[in-house]
Amino acid sequence: MNRDLAGRVAVVGVGTTRYGKLPEYDAYDLGVWALKSALEDSGLGFDAIDGLIINRIPDYQRFGEITGLDPRYTLITPGQGRFSGICIQTAVAVIAAGMAQTVALVYGNNGRSAGDHYGGASDAYGSGGAGLWFPYGMTSPGAFHALMMRRHMEEYGTTSDQLGAIASTFRRHAGLNPDAVMRTPFSVDEYRAARYICEPLRLLDYCLINDGGVAMILTSAERARGLKKAPVYVRGMGQAAALAGSSFPPQDYWRSPMRKVAADVYGMAQAGPADMDALMIYDNFTPTVLFSLEGFGFCAPGESGPWVAEGRLALGAEFPTNTSGGHLSESYMQGWALNVEAVRQVRGECGARQVRDAELVQYMTAAPVVTSIIYGR
Amino acid sequence: MKPLPPQDAANRPYWEGARRGVLMLQRCADCGQHRFPAARYCARCRGERSAWVETSGRGVIESYCSFHKAYWPAFEAELPYEVVQVRLDEGVCLFSNLVRGAARAGLKVKAHFEPITPSVTLVKFEPL
Repeated sequence: MNRDLAGRVAVVGVGTTRYGKLPEYDAYDLGVWALKSALEDSGLGFDAIDGLIINRIPDYQRFGEITGLDPRYTLITPGQGRFSGICIQTAVAVIAAGMAQTVALVYGNNGRSAGDHYGGASDAYGSGGAGLWFPYGMTSPGAFHALMMRRHMEEYGTTSDQLGAIASTFRRHAGLNPDAVMRTPFSVDEYRAARYICEPLRLLDYCLINDGGVAMILTSAERARGLKKAPVYVRGMGQAAALAGSSFPPQDYWRSPMRKVAADVYGMAQAGPADMDALMIYDNFTPTVLFSLEGFGFCAPGESGPWVAEGRLALGAEFPTNTSGGHLSESYMQGWALNVEAVRQVRGECGARQVRDAELVQYMTAAPVVTSIIYGR
Repeated sequence: MKPLPPQDAANRPYWEGARRGVLMLQRCADCGQHRFPAARYCARCRGERSAWVETSGRGVIESYCSFHKAYWPAFEAELPYEVVQVRLDEGVCLFSNLVRGAARAGLKVKAHFEPITPSVTLVKFEPL
């Protein structure tokens, strides 16, 4: 990773829709709503956008048609959560290369109203071979992570209650976020009473499925100065994939790609895990939080269970994590809303859930493509 | 009825093998690496030459999980049911079911063949 990219691109606008069930809006509508909100936040108009990166919305051409956009750079990416980080990093590269000056990143998800399922005949997780395993009853990303978690439990003695500590912490954070879909706190006993979906994972270990949209506006550091709000700079970023054999849970819990990404993201930001004021960890399922903390070096391999159970992820503690409530409790915006939360924390816009003096906030996702981004003033 | 596996021509030797009680895998004729499902090229050496070979059907359970939700109605009567993740001695991974005994990571297993229809036999596992 070219470390000279540090601080050369800034986020100057973020926008989010309401979250929940919004059947009157399709994915395009949700994207436009979020984009208008992000532009309003930045003080820029549609005419300032000369780069367009679309995620999950089905078609870039139609999106450009309904918004009247003629960008110099256009990209569309698959609706998988790992692509939020990839898109943001691509925007940084496109801007640094001069291919576009101001990039709009737009995400729209009407999965709740469209009745999306993440298991069964429509299961598309993995690399397309899932049908081979349906006769045995194997399906869904949840089961994939349940397999990873069971192995972690047998290897290191990690417990269900430690997952409950993650889920209940994020729910408490969501209680401080008026935009969150699920805001009612639950105790460890209530967590234990939640039904299993794929054991060892319970309903409360799974992300939500809801409608919503998110947009971000990125531009060069030079153009960012003097805009409506103080720029939030991309201080570090990194990406590494583990695609070989990725139809099956990785034996190393994705540690190998995460170590590569950690070296890049911290090297570029000239900071380490201990310098992070808040963390935004892709929480499709609670175990992913454990794998991320181990992979990025916040704790030693195998020690994440007891480490989180000591309360380190809570607001006011050592590493406030997913202060919005994350995918588990705020909104399933596939990484996008976590990146927006990182920006809002650095700006100091988070109200009751604000982390004091949040100077550096790290986003990370553990998946077959690992990404991480450090945002800072 | 539970879903049946896709019967594509490329994987026919696997299913034919299962019907006669043999676990067949595709093997790279250039570097010797085994693979399943079938692919034209070897993911290790990218060679194009391959042959289907008989294997011992032995492996080890890497992990397991227990479904409490039925994604197809045909599984409802069996809830909760277990799925195991098996790594064969040849290095190939499969998802499957354990037909007897309790699953645990590290348990050594061998293939058990379960006829489902006249043309389809599933590859399940039992403790070694």
